[in-house]
Amino acid sequence: MPSRPRRFGGLDAVILVIAFGLLGYVLHRANSHFHYLWDWRLIPGYFVRYDAGLGGWTLNLLGQGLVATVRLAVWGSVLAALIGGAMGMCRVARSLFLRLLSRTYVELIRNIPPLVFIFIFYFFISGQLMPVLDVENRMAHAGPTTLQILTFLFGPPELLPNFLSGLICLALFEGAYVTEIVRAGIQAIPKGQWEAGWALGLRSDQVMGEVVLPQAVGKMLPALAGQFISLIKDSSLISLISIQELTFTGTELAVSSGRVFEVWLTVAALYFLLCFGLARLFRRLEQRLNRNRHPF
Amino acid sequence: MPVMNRITLIQRLRRQGRPLFDSLAFLAVLAGLGWLIMAGAGELHYNWQWYRVPQYLYRFEDGVFYPGPLLRGLGVTLELTGWSLMLTVFFGLTAALLQRSTSWAGHAVARVYVEIVRNTPMLVQIYLVYFILAPILDLDRFVAAVLALALFEGAFAAEIFRAGIEAIPRGQWEAGRSLGLSPYAVHRCIILPQAIRLVLPPLTGLAVSLIKHSALVSVIAVADLTTEGRNLIADTFMTFELWFTVAALYLALTTSLSLLVDWLERRLPVRSAGHD
Repeated sequence: MPSRPRRFGGLDAVILVIAFGLLGYVLHRANSHFHYLWDWRLIPGYFVRYDAGLGGWTLNLLGQGLVATVRLAVWGSVLAALIGGAMGMCRVARSLFLRLLSRTYVELIRNIPPLVFIFIFYFFISGQLMPVLDVENRMAHAGPTTLQILTFLFGPPELLPNFLSGLICLALFEGAYVTEIVRAGIQAIPKGQWEAGWALGLRSDQVMGEVVLPQAVGKMLPALAGQFISLIKDSSLISLISIQELTFTGTELAVSSGRVFEVWLTVAALYFLLCFGLARLFRRLEQRLNRNRHPF
Repeated sequence: MPVMNRITLIQRLRRQGRPLFDSLAFLAVLAGLGWLIMAGAGELHYNWQWYRVPQYLYRFEDGVFYPGPLLRGLGVTLELTGWSLMLTVFFGLTAALLQRSTSWAGHAVARVYVEIVRNTPMLVQIYLVYFILAPILDLDRFVAAVLALALFEGAFAAEIFRAGIEAIPRGQWEAGRSLGLSPYAVHRCIILPQAIRLVLPPLTGLAVSLIKHSALVSVIAVADLTTEGRNLIADTFMTFELWFTVAALYLALTTSLSLLVDWLERRLPVRSAGHD
């Protein structure tokens, strides 16, 4: 039973022997059978490098990839929250039309593999939407200050159309999950709250805006935080349509440098630090929020 | 009382809205989207060749049925899902039991496994298995794919099993122990048989997500449905027709499994196992 204190026993010895045995066996095979020569010294140089031409330090591939992933995560979640919020309201709307529309969106995205969705949608976005937005032309006419701001927010201007396509794909995909979180949050509010609001003479939109939503948002927050972490992980899929984020730069680097093992282990470690750190942070925030709630 | 009735009546009317008008509006939006795709394709001078798609699904020669590349890919996807599901159950159950055990090392190992898998992208995990583990251990790419999928889903299955086991009331445990059964026997004869019932519906849901995630192994060129689709597109340039067909095949597979989940959840009512 879990209530008993954990202590070191015979089972621990067996498990440790098995775990370290497996690890040791893999490492031994890597060195003796596969003859892999580990060399970790090159890895730090892939984050930042000294550029003699500029006379300063600049981000190298892995650094650029990490920054691009963070940008994708931030903008992707903003966009996904907008889509999910709107669609979530549609899911609980009175109008059958809105409910059908949002239900179709959610079911379609949740039942198709993300990869297939991204491939289909990428052809559509890059072929149709990008010419309509005409980003490249607009960028050419932008002033230097605007360009600097855009570069800070979205990355190198020459990659902006590419970045936007990936961003829209990701946001549409994650939006479906946010939709369901929003719907569940609103539906978790007891019916009595609605009836009380109506009985006080509020219109339905007033009840929604002033009674139900403020309570629902509190219920949604933990799930939304989890979805934010999922979004970071799912952003790696975007590498398959050549959006230059961490997984993409990792692939490039593994091929060009030949340090396959070190590069992939580093990429995995970076994702882990990012996601695990955020998960811990969110958990702490949630505990603090709960502590400050009125103790009923 | 009449006030309550009125409220529920108004609510019901509000809920229903205008079904016929709304359905028509919905169909109009779908048609509009369809038109948008067609118009976009027309602008690209896209040449629709739907008539060429069926031959990639199946052929009849002398009345004998031959599956085409897409159906064969679907078969590989199912095969992949089946093997991974078995391994997933193994990994998940092991991790769940280790997390519950009094063993300090068992708990640590299970925890590290679950945290690593949950906090890294699946694509990166596939690369780790395929580029690092597979060459070291001389694994075939199909085996690497099964291993990567099962390791990934196993961490989520662990949570399902843990929840299922913990949902069994404490009294069952105490009863088993006081009858003189060992902890192992209590698990095997009392807890797990009851937990299975609770675990089955979410586990089928896991199978659905396994099918979806199995599309990812196309990046290491396992000949599954997505890979077959990509290869055919490279050969024939029928991008939209083939992707829509592939998506429809996945949709058919996942929605039928989802319906099965619904049915299972209705069919296996959770008998409360005593007063907690």
